[in-house]
Amino acid sequence: MNRVLLLGSPNSGKSSLFNRLTGLSQRVANYPGITVDVASGALLSVPDTELVDFPGTYSLQPISGEEAVAVDFLADALSDDKVSHVLCVADATRLQKSLHFILQVIRECERCRKPVTVLANMADVIRDNGLSFDSAGLADALGVPVINISAKQSLGFDAVVARVREPAGTQATAVDRWLETPDEMLRGTAQQLAQRFSPKGDILIKSQLKLDRFFLSTGIGGVAFFLIMFLFFQSIFTWSAPAMDGIEALVTRVGEAVVAMIPNVVVADFVADALFGGVGAFLVFIPQIFVLTLVIGIMEDSGYLARAALICHRPLRLFGLTGKSFIPLLSGVACAIPAIYAARSVDSPWQRMMTYLAIPLMPCSARLPVYALLIAAFIPADTLLFGLIGWQGFALFLIYVFGMLTALLITGLVSRYSGGEQGDQPFVLELPPYRLPTAAPILRNAWNRCRHFVTKAGKIILMVTMVIWFLGYFPNGGEDLANSWLGTLGRLVEPVFAPLGLDWRYGVAILTSFLAREVFVGTLGTIFGIEGSEENMVPLVDQIQASGLPLGSGVALLVFFAVALQCVSTVAILAREGSTRLALGMLSGYLLIAYVMALAVFQLSQLLF
Amino acid sequence: MNTEQAALTLWDLQAGEAARVTGFDQGLTTAYQGRIMEFGFQPGSQVECLLTPGFGAPRVYAVSNSVFSLDQEIAQAVFVESAGASGGQP
Repeated sequence: MNRVLLLGSPNSGKSSLFNRLTGLSQRVANYPGITVDVASGALLSVPDTELVDFPGTYSLQPISGEEAVAVDFLADALSDDKVSHVLCVADATRLQKSLHFILQVIRECERCRKPVTVLANMADVIRDNGLSFDSAGLADALGVPVINISAKQSLGFDAVVARVREPAGTQATAVDRWLETPDEMLRGTAQQLAQRFSPKGDILIKSQLKLDRFFLSTGIGGVAFFLIMFLFFQSIFTWSAPAMDGIEALVTRVGEAVVAMIPNVVVADFVADALFGGVGAFLVFIPQIFVLTLVIGIMEDSGYLARAALICHRPLRLFGLTGKSFIPLLSGVACAIPAIYAARSVDSPWQRMMTYLAIPLMPCSARLPVYALLIAAFIPADTLLFGLIGWQGFALFLIYVFGMLTALLITGLVSRYSGGEQGDQPFVLELPPYRLPTAAPILRNAWNRCRHFVTKAGKIILMVTMVIWFLGYFPNGGEDLANSWLGTLGRLVEPVFAPLGLDWRYGVAILTSFLAREVFVGTLGTIFGIEGSEENMVPLVDQIQASGLPLGSGVALLVFFAVALQCVSTVAILAREGSTRLALGMLSGYLLIAYVMALAVFQLSQLLF
Repeated sequence: MNTEQAALTLWDLQAGEAARVTGFDQGLTTAYQGRIMEFGFQPGSQVECLLTPGFGAPRVYAVSNSVFSLDQEIAQAVFVESAGASGGQP
């Protein structure tokens, strides 16, 4: 299979073009440098050709980790015999920022004898603004073909496909026009070509400026930022509530119907407690994962996240971070793993390490089921403003803020006492034009996140709940949980959790949650399911309320989960992207801090109430 | 490099003010100088300051029809000469 490389600078429309040409669900995000992994897929029109989407980069002289990844990979790919063609995408409305990179790529293609074609994107925007773009003139100047395209409206794709289809060996490789040209001269040439060929006229800047005056103004912009963040957290809880109630009712009804059809008591108990009690309790939280990913996608695609990075830069610097840490940190609200990859976009190695330190404290979606369960057990579901704002959403906002403040406190202290400010790098960020988010890729991404969450976490939860059910059900057939094998095991670990006001059932659930946080919910669902095996299936929230868990312990549990690094996958990725020492240090350090903070919360609650 | 214009830097520009890049501070690393030159901040280029958010936040500049945000450290390393206020900006 032939390979075609797709290169381009950030915000050139490269990922959007990739989606259109391959029909794959490569994420399109309107933030510089969001594509940190290399995606690939077969071309729809040429199925025997694979299109490889590179991370966006401004230059072959990298200044960030993600650019270094792209440059290293490109060097390997250009020496690959299977690579038959290189497509280099430029935003024709902002030619200057792409041209130096294009010239560097042409030079490398001359060196490796690979045919290269420049795709001048945004033909629709140029047309709609009554401007023109001299692609033939630019092609003459560059010495390679230039095709006008619109990734958004699929314009010019036939010419691109025809170019890629040309049999190997028949395509003219670029003559050695740039082979001996040093970077300094390429830079000057890029400027001259940009002045000569850029469409003359102000495209988008004036309309963008109106919005920037609002979102980046000192007073209103700050208020808008906090309002957007507040609505973001509200949406996770309040807006997904109807779907969650629906799934809960469905799981309960289906569970009861299925169990009623099973004649064998042990099998019926297993299905009720382990499958519907354990795995079912976890499925209820899928709508929240969907809403969370959807809202982050909308913010990214609209161009607001780059502005948020600018707003946060100054405050984050006080804590050893940078505005560029904001995107990985916000991604960490969905999942720490893509967030750790996204941290490659942080230029300074020191600030990147500080970002790694902060990411596991972001309230990731795996914590959401635990938070949602405990908040629902202790906070009334009253709402204000026709159901848009609720106390439970406010409580979630507070626990999220707590995790974030803890992250800032830790990075601030580490940075202050280890001379980290010497690792600072200047902040330079492109602000892409605002645009209306495209629904299809964002919805597809939210769906994929949910599917990934269910298939990845669901397997672990199923295995854990099966083991927990087996240990809890035997040797006395579910009649006496306290004297089951699980009860015996639980009492061994109970002394560790007793100072937090937690009995052995919660201790066992915490231990299993080190595989993945959301396992906590499945484990508790199974344990309470065995205990209440004589009754009808009862939602887990009601069972926690009935278990007599004190409020102080509930808050201590929330604090523990907000800080502890209970995720095997995150530890593994931290070891790969950072170092094993860093990963193990964070695992043990955050466990200790989480325990001490939870202990302080519970003991304080005992003194006060 | 033109260092005679050291008195005026990108950071000194007010919102709506246009200027022409004249050179760079010697303290700016080659990597970052190269990067902002690739963005269009080249000697001779016209730059416009679009916004100056408060509390020392990075400022917003337009060059070559693109918009970039630069913090104080890097904006103070770009020397400019004033080209007057641009039309239509505050």
